[in-house]
Amino acid sequence: MKHQSQFSDEQQSRQAGTEHQTQPEAAREFASAEEMLRYDAKQTAVPPEIARRLQKSTGDLPGPKTAWWKRWLGGGQ
Amino acid sequence: MTGPPADLASAAFSSLYAENNRAIYYLALRYLGDPQKAEDATHDVFLKAFRKLDQFRGEASHRTWLYRIAINHCRNLQQAWHDRHVFANTDDPIWDCAVANADSPLRVLEIKELGRLIQKVLDALPDEYRLLLLLVADEELSYEQVGMLTEQSPDAVRGKLHRARKAFTVLFKKYTDSNHETPKPIFR
Repeated sequence: MKHQSQFSDEQQSRQAGTEHQTQPEAAREFASAEEMLRYDAKQTAVPPEIARRLQKSTGDLPGPKTAWWKRWLGGGQ
Repeated sequence: MTGPPADLASAAFSSLYAENNRAIYYLALRYLGDPQKAEDATHDVFLKAFRKLDQFRGEASHRTWLYRIAINHCRNLQQAWHDRHVFANTDDPIWDCAVANADSPLRVLEIKELGRLIQKVLDALPDEYRLLLLLVADEELSYEQVGMLTEQSPDAVRGKLHRARKAFTVLFKKYTDSNHETPKPIFR
């Protein structure tokens, strides 16, 4: 998604729940509802905030102490 | 809490998240229709999984185990919202009387509009059809697994899936033809 003055598009996209990473095509045909949903799922970015929140939540719990999230977030923090 | 050693449990959870976060987030997003609720739900689902990781016995795949947690969680959220906001709607679903081929291709002219359009269509479908389509769209699930998750036989899944596809197709074409007309919720 381009960053040039597309705030409203981006905002609408977030409201629709999708952050399609690239849109190389203008039009597309899908053989079925499932195929369309599969395509949509692949284009939908999972918010990194979820992993960060889980890092905090699981850190507060008894259980595995090793930082699982370090592997997921790339070893930083 | 008893269970595997911390290192093993941590590695297992890391893999569990890496392999399934997209599937669970997408289900929550399109089932609930709200990115913030989907984010919260995905967090809560994986947190429940983390707490119960040592109870996972391998009788189902990790994916179906997580889906079961996610479906229950989303249904509870949906029910709480439904109780507060929705009243009886006796309108007949438009797809019942529509003439449409469930197998006809679906064409979208603006791919960047796809997410919004899909959400409109799913929002107008009964919960049962919405869930069925979302689960069947996951190529890792068999009809048998979808049947287990929705508490019906694989044959019933096939039958309902045909009707769900038809409903999706009718609504999709209606909304694309009417150029993003706001849909009226049918029923839940």
